Amino acid sequence: MDSAGQTVIPQGAEFAAALNRLWSRFLPEIEQRLAVLESAAAAATKGTLAPQQQEAAHAAAHKLAGVLGSFGLDGGTSPARETELLYSAQAVPDPGQAQLLVQLASNLRALIETRKQAQAPAQ
Amino acid sequence: MAHSILIIDDEDDIREVAALSLESIGGWQVIVAASGTQGLARAIEHTPDAILLDVMMPGMDGPTTFRELRKNPVTAKIPVLLLTAKVQSSDQRRFADLGVDGILFKPFDPLTLHTQIAGALGWN
Repeated sequence: MDSAGQTVIPQGAEFAAALNRLWSRFLPEIEQRLAVLESAAAAATKGTLAPQQQEAAHAAAHKLAGVLGSFGLDGGTSPARETELLYSAQAVPDPGQAQLLVQLASNLRALIETRKQAQAPAQ
Repeated sequence: MAHSILIIDDEDDIREVAALSLESIGGWQVIVAASGTQGLARAIEHTPDAILLDVMMPGMDGPTTFRELRKNPVTAKIPVLLLTAKVQSSDQRRFADLGVDGILFKPFDPLTLHTQIAGALGWN
């Protein structure tokens, strides 16, 4: 707090830079979670999704739903939550749901790639 | 004097973004723990002004950690806010029934996390 009792907000650029550094540091984990979703969705379309893989996909979707928005990817929360919900069911996703899971994973991939490109240093 | 807050979350990314936010924007003193067990130890050691507690953690989960905090006279009165990505109303009711001081939702906005916490705890 400053002398006027206001919250001290650091330079916006400084905070954004610090957040970007965290994004870069945790990007491999985020991409790993996404890879789990892509792999599970592919297995679901082939009818080979194992319960353990479904459980892993459920956990990965839950984590992505909880974190993407904090890195400015608000558009990732809804597809991640929908994915989490689809994998939370006891039953294996049906063919229609499997196609939806592929699309949701693809949407998440596109968002993450856009964020990566926006932050990539100029060549 | 700056507030002190203990963040208990097993997810490194969430923990670090929250810590960055509360330290650099809120100006608070932040203590972190990566598990319920570690969180209990840090809470006893530092007696922070408040605890931000993740719900879903391997081993000792958030609700169990909360009950343990309440059992210990050193930590029993420290306000606890749950942090969760569960948005279904049945989950929210279950968490509220625990007797926590508030529930915050992931994903949080790092620019406003400190105001959400301060508001929930009446620190404004």
